[in-house]
Amino acid sequence: MKKLLKNDAFQFLSLSILIILVVYGLNAAKGMIVARAVYVTFIEVLDIVVAVSIFIGLFQVWVKPPTIVKWLGKGSGLKGFILVCTFPILMGGSLFTVFPLLKTLREKGARPGAIASFITAWGGKAPLLPLETKFLGWPFALVRLGFVIIFAFLMGILMDWVGEKPAKL
Amino acid sequence: MRAGQIYLIIAIVLFGISFLKDKQRSKEALKATFKIFYVVLPVLVFVFVLMGLIEAYVSRETIVSILGQKSGILGILYAEIVGCIALFLPPAVFPFGGYLLKNGASYGSIAGFVFTAILIGVTTLPLEFKLLGKRFTVFRNIFTFVLAFFIALLMEVILG
Repeated sequence: MKKLLKNDAFQFLSLSILIILVVYGLNAAKGMIVARAVYVTFIEVLDIVVAVSIFIGLFQVWVKPPTIVKWLGKGSGLKGFILVCTFPILMGGSLFTVFPLLKTLREKGARPGAIASFITAWGGKAPLLPLETKFLGWPFALVRLGFVIIFAFLMGILMDWVGEKPAKL
Repeated sequence: MRAGQIYLIIAIVLFGISFLKDKQRSKEALKATFKIFYVVLPVLVFVFVLMGLIEAYVSRETIVSILGQKSGILGILYAEIVGCIALFLPPAVFPFGGYLLKNGASYGSIAGFVFTAILIGVTTLPLEFKLLGKRFTVFRNIFTFVLAFFIALLMEVILG
């Protein structure tokens, strides 16, 4: 029981149900609006979420962190820099899974700029394109993706600019 | 055919290819897929509840006045701050953004929200701090917030 209560999935689901019940108790009509919104959106995205989960699962086993570290190296030189600003766009995961990988990259000698470019490019989130285009449309998704690369370049330049100075903070 | 079904077919075909190439790895991939699905789905349901709550209690006019085109620069800033503190997993960012867009938020606001929701996390700050250092964390988050603002502004000009 204790384990169940600490389980994230259980917490999110029970909190969701609780909110719907409370709202329904306060105002049945509003409760129905909430329940309907959840149901409709859920049905709309279920197949996309399954597909996206498969994409990310496949990517994780075929492109493992050691491979990524080897490919990207220090992220130095123009080729390394371009790679570090684009390749992470293909990766899934959350910041929690990305930071440990970046620590390894840094230990291998990657500059702060390369690390920052990596994080920013990772924010491109190509595996989530099915979700992004469904909810925000192709124009938004494509324009955003283009800007992500520019964003990653600028982050790399800025972080290298401040990164090497002795820490004063 | 719905877009979701097409993606699903592509995913299954890719998985089939992977399975033919390496059974052991594909089993691992399937395990990873289940794990991702198991982590993401409850969060998505929770975000859908939040969307429902907004639909039930927040009027379109309110969203328009805070995040709409007329709110301009301030709208983008508000959206960015919401993105920073929102505890969303990346897959939940887009449905929520789409929901706000449908209800009158501007493209610029949505872009600001999406960028900071994915790239800045109040909950991940301690981890970033520990793994990548204080100086790096402080500057990266500040630069991300500032650049996201200007890019969001450009996106509003392009798409709005």
